Amino acid sequence: MKFLFIDTSSLYLTIAIIDDNKIVFNHKEQVEKDMSSKIIPIIDNGFKECSFSIKDINKIFVVNGPGSFTGVRIGVTVAKTIAWALKIDLIPLSSLEFIASTASDKKYLVPMIDARRGNVFAGIYDQELNNILPDVLISYEQLSKKIDESYQQISYHLDNSINPDGDILKVINKHLSDKSVNPHSLKPNYLKLTEAEEKLNDQRNN
Amino acid sequence: MNKTYILGIETSCDETSVSIIENGDTEIATIISTQITTHANYGGVVPEIASRMHIENITIVIEECLKQANMTMDDIEAIAVTQGPGLIGSLLIGVTAATTLAYIYNKPLVPVHHIAGHIYANNLVSKMQFPLIALVVSGGHTELIYMKENYSFKKIGGTLDDAVGECYDKVARVINVPYPGGPLVDKLAHIGSDTYNLPLPLDDNTYNFSFSGIKSAVINLAHNEEQRGNTIRKEDLCCSFQNRVVEILTKKTMKALKEYNVNNLIIAGGVSANSGIRDKFTTICAHDGINLTIPNIKYCTDNAAMIGAAGYYAYKLGIRSGYDLKAKATMNLY
Repeated sequence: MKFLFIDTSSLYLTIAIIDDNKIVFNHKEQVEKDMSSKIIPIIDNGFKECSFSIKDINKIFVVNGPGSFTGVRIGVTVAKTIAWALKIDLIPLSSLEFIASTASDKKYLVPMIDARRGNVFAGIYDQELNNILPDVLISYEQLSKKIDESYQQISYHLDNSINPDGDILKVINKHLSDKSVNPHSLKPNYLKLTEAEEKLNDQRNN
Repeated sequence: MNKTYILGIETSCDETSVSIIENGDTEIATIISTQITTHANYGGVVPEIASRMHIENITIVIEECLKQANMTMDDIEAIAVTQGPGLIGSLLIGVTAATTLAYIYNKPLVPVHHIAGHIYANNLVSKMQFPLIALVVSGGHTELIYMKENYSFKKIGGTLDDAVGECYDKVARVINVPYPGGPLVDKLAHIGSDTYNLPLPLDDNTYNFSFSGIKSAVINLAHNEEQRGNTIRKEDLCCSFQNRVVEILTKKTMKALKEYNVNNLIIAGGVSANSGIRDKFTTICAHDGINLTIPNIKYCTDNAAMIGAAGYYAYKLGIRSGYDLKAKATMNLY
């Protein structure tokens, strides 16, 4: 089986091509701006280095959030367009789960992405990437009440260059038999309304 | 003549649109998914919401367009996409999808300037005759452009402050007309009389426009009437405002036609749907023997048909982008 993995949810653009459970192309690059102008050239280059073409891919795995709104949209747009055009399976992945796939000796992992004003996008996963607390936007204060020293906290800020160092194969294998989603209905998992929607909701509730 | 089909993609603001155009002048299919009712809740386009809606719609609109045309991507010769100017988050969805399609199907990728698109909406009405003067009027632009031939754009004048559409929206807000206010101001103008004394905007020898003065005059007038406890006669204010705007637009445009010795005029952009502008230009051009083209109302606002039309001429001229195409919030046509 041949897979394409795309993650644009942080400042890092990660593209991987997997063949027979081996990563045959892996590109990870910090991209300050114009992520959209870099992604297809990198994918194109990746397949040039492989012995097969993008048309041979069986499934696309794409990180669809939470994370940088614009960043996530670029990866999701590429993934859904390819999946639609080539009629191949499309599997969304959580950015937090990807972070949680980092090696740790703790029982539980608590991946977090800074969401400003004391809030984080966070989830809780065990070593096998079973989801204990579904991805949520939560205040750090509230989150810290749910965890103790048996939890490994891994936090990232979207606006600095910390490099999410997940285990691509581990995450993909966990979701190998997930049901493919219809490319038309795939959208980013923002976990957050836009400010305009929040304000409008507040006005309506008052 | 061989038939060349261009797939056009436009996502620069709040419309997700895809179109297939034959030879730059014939529409095969166009899908426009507008977000206007959503943004009306906020009194204007919210960029983040627009981006979110584009990504939900983009592949659906592409598929619908191919279906409507009864075509597959194999029938398409090149992919044209709006590169800018516009809302960057919105542009990114169209540019990223277009680049991905170009890569997957191994098709040429043709970047198109949004205003070039608006101008070429006229080519779908009747083949543009050169040389011509284009008056571009929209929410973001008010420009006079001289075109010697296809895809040659020379700006001869433009607004120094607000665009004409922007000015309409602000006037609408002052008199409490809901978003999008421009079309409603136009409607009210038709039932009103020109009774308010408003200044003629920047009436000088240049081809430039300035609408901040008339905008301030409307705001002050509304404010003063309110202070005096008078009710504003909205329709009369709209009529007076529209008459001044149309007067200066026609005056400078007709002067440009004369001085550049040009017989062809096209009007382009969202505000070319304004009936005051359409009617006045139609009358004057008929009188002066000017060959006037205005897009069908459907193609005055943002759409991909115009991108497919402009994209055809760009493609024939060899304008191409690699897969590293960058969306641009601001960019020059000239």
